[in-house]
Amino acid sequence: MKKILSVIKREYIQIVRTKGFIIGTILGPVFMLALIVVPVALQFVAVDQQEKIGVIDETGEIFMGLDEKLDQRLKDGTRRYLLVNFEAAGPVDELKQELNNKVLAKELNAYIHIPEDISSGGEAEYVAEHVSDFNKRGNIGSALSSIVIGKRLRGEGLDPAKISEFMRPVGLATKKVTTRGVEKDTGGTFILSYVLVLILYMTLIFYGQIILRGVIEEKTSRMVEIVLSSMRPFQLMAGKIVGIAAVGFTQYAIWAIFGLAATRYSKGLITRAFPAAAGFEMPSIPSYIFIYFVLFFIGGYFLYATMYAAIGSMVNSEKEAQNLVMPVTMFLIIPILLMMFIIRNPNSTLSVILSVIPFFSPILMLLRICVLLPPFIQIAASMLLLGLTTLFMIWITAKIYRVGILMYGKRPHFAEIVKWIRYR
Amino acid sequence: MNALEISRITKCFGDFYAVKNLSFCIPAGTIYGLLGPNGAGKTTTIRMVMNIIIPDQGSIKVLQRTIDEEMKENIGYLPEDRGLYPKMKVGELLIFLAELKGLSGQEARAQIDRWLKRFDLFDWKMKKVEELSRGMQQKVQFIATVVHEPELIILDEPFSGLDPVNTKLLKDIMLEMKAAGKTIIFSTHRMEQVEMICDNICLIDRAEKVLEGNLNQIKQQYGKNTILLDYEGDAAFIKSFEEISKIDDYGRYMEIKLKEQVDPQLLLNRVVGHIRVNKFEVREPTLNAIFIEKVGVRDEENSVSH
Repeated sequence: MKKILSVIKREYIQIVRTKGFIIGTILGPVFMLALIVVPVALQFVAVDQQEKIGVIDETGEIFMGLDEKLDQRLKDGTRRYLLVNFEAAGPVDELKQELNNKVLAKELNAYIHIPEDISSGGEAEYVAEHVSDFNKRGNIGSALSSIVIGKRLRGEGLDPAKISEFMRPVGLATKKVTTRGVEKDTGGTFILSYVLVLILYMTLIFYGQIILRGVIEEKTSRMVEIVLSSMRPFQLMAGKIVGIAAVGFTQYAIWAIFGLAATRYSKGLITRAFPAAAGFEMPSIPSYIFIYFVLFFIGGYFLYATMYAAIGSMVNSEKEAQNLVMPVTMFLIIPILLMMFIIRNPNSTLSVILSVIPFFSPILMLLRICVLLPPFIQIAASMLLLGLTTLFMIWITAKIYRVGILMYGKRPHFAEIVKWIRYR
Repeated sequence: MNALEISRITKCFGDFYAVKNLSFCIPAGTIYGLLGPNGAGKTTTIRMVMNIIIPDQGSIKVLQRTIDEEMKENIGYLPEDRGLYPKMKVGELLIFLAELKGLSGQEARAQIDRWLKRFDLFDWKMKKVEELSRGMQQKVQFIATVVHEPELIILDEPFSGLDPVNTKLLKDIMLEMKAAGKTIIFSTHRMEQVEMICDNICLIDRAEKVLEGNLNQIKQQYGKNTILLDYEGDAAFIKSFEEISKIDDYGRYMEIKLKEQVDPQLLLNRVVGHIRVNKFEVREPTLNAIFIEKVGVRDEENSVSH
């Protein structure tokens, strides 16, 4: 046991010390946060420049209303849009030509042309140097529409205020019913669950590769026989796998601290920076999801880690390992491909079967737990099967490993590996 | 007392015999040469002594006890296929390996410093292994083998890659250890080294023992009908002499085995005048000659039977 501890310590320190680990651990959450925050933040970044917009109102009745409606403010309280009325002394086209020139000369940011027949189907025009700001176009378009619709309604003798009350859309609140009652679900829970499943998938592959590389390095550097003169091959393998699991938990712990800090403080920060985002709710994840996450990480990790260790012991170089690693990686990719199906049909028979199959269960059962907590018996069944399969894989890998790790030269074919397993 | 007792061990890999019915004993406080051509089964035998692989039949006793994992703390093993973790610092790696042998960090540190100084490597303690030359890595590996002061030390080709100065240092340390009562198993292909260092030998070929015993006695058995000739000139004519059963010519040096009952003086008389004789020595055969004879003969037998 003391020897295994020495190996665990060595593996842990050697990896935690690498630049790759430090950068990955710190930049990982920063990068993920940036992916989420930057697009959201950009939406709320206020334009801090007033825009001067000309209006050619051929009806002569809309300008006042439009000026009232477009009262968005900048940070300092001044109006975002400054509307200037232009009246056509001669033909409208001449005035439009004049305003085109003003826009090009940057005297105006844009101008709006409202034709006389706007109420009966005519089209208004928005002319500017660049027209890609859909936020601004939306503001102007909806202001114009509501004025014109109001005008039309009044023309028919109807009260626009009443009508808009009648036309109010029906709200569709989504709620989740569970054994613990009805909960409000904003959709954020789902997104974070999705993220958890992806984290599990990525770390399983990542740490599997580290183990693979570690075993191959031990073999190619010819270190292994020196180590084996002090301990059993199984102790070396166990120490390596547990040591790297400890690295994984360290990384998760650091990320969890980041995450907790983010949920705790980010709302305040976001609200302060972007008052418009005050309604933004940080989604909450029930704690049982984290417990299952850890359990399935442990199960999945040991299952895949032993398989990667077995492959590492069979080959002589990382290049040689690639062919053998492929089927193992496929076992991890298949559940990712099935994710959307499971999310849409969490309780279908196929979903239940798939999520109990040991190689898929770490990812798929966790996903089902996130989407819709399955009956406990199913979770227990998938965990039991996962545990038994993992024990079986450890047993068989230990047999392959102890022979393979001392074999150099030609890569063994399947029949030889079966022979290895039979050796005393 | 025997430091190692191997009795009738057999190891098969599939239908291939790596070691077949092998027995030998090593008296404590001696240096034992484990010899044999490539693939003879030496490494498999050593791995079984180290409990790395388990014999199909037979038993192994180290220091009078059946081998188990704890025994490994009393054995130091320098494998032929050896290397070090390239990214670790020399000091850290040695502490790690000493801890695996049951030493505490503190004990290990003192021992490691002492050994590093002796091998002139102390300045390299904080350097990464990959920055060391091959010879330096060899010395680090040797330190790892003996840092826990084992009673039984197994050295598989310990001198390969070492310059003459370090070879001498290592040989001196081996003799010191023998004087201190330690037992050393020495495996190599360099017969002249075995001749100079070993007390007893065991020669293995094709999984089986072909020769075993005290080195001096073995040589005496082969009789004093070998001549070492140190010469200058063209000595090709000697090869046609009928009295010679075997000849090994190195160009300036010749090892000649005479047929039974042939007087060496006869040969001396014939060569004088034809070549310049610097040295003419009548003695028992070299271990090299015995090795080639034993292994070579078996090869011929085998090729006939096929």
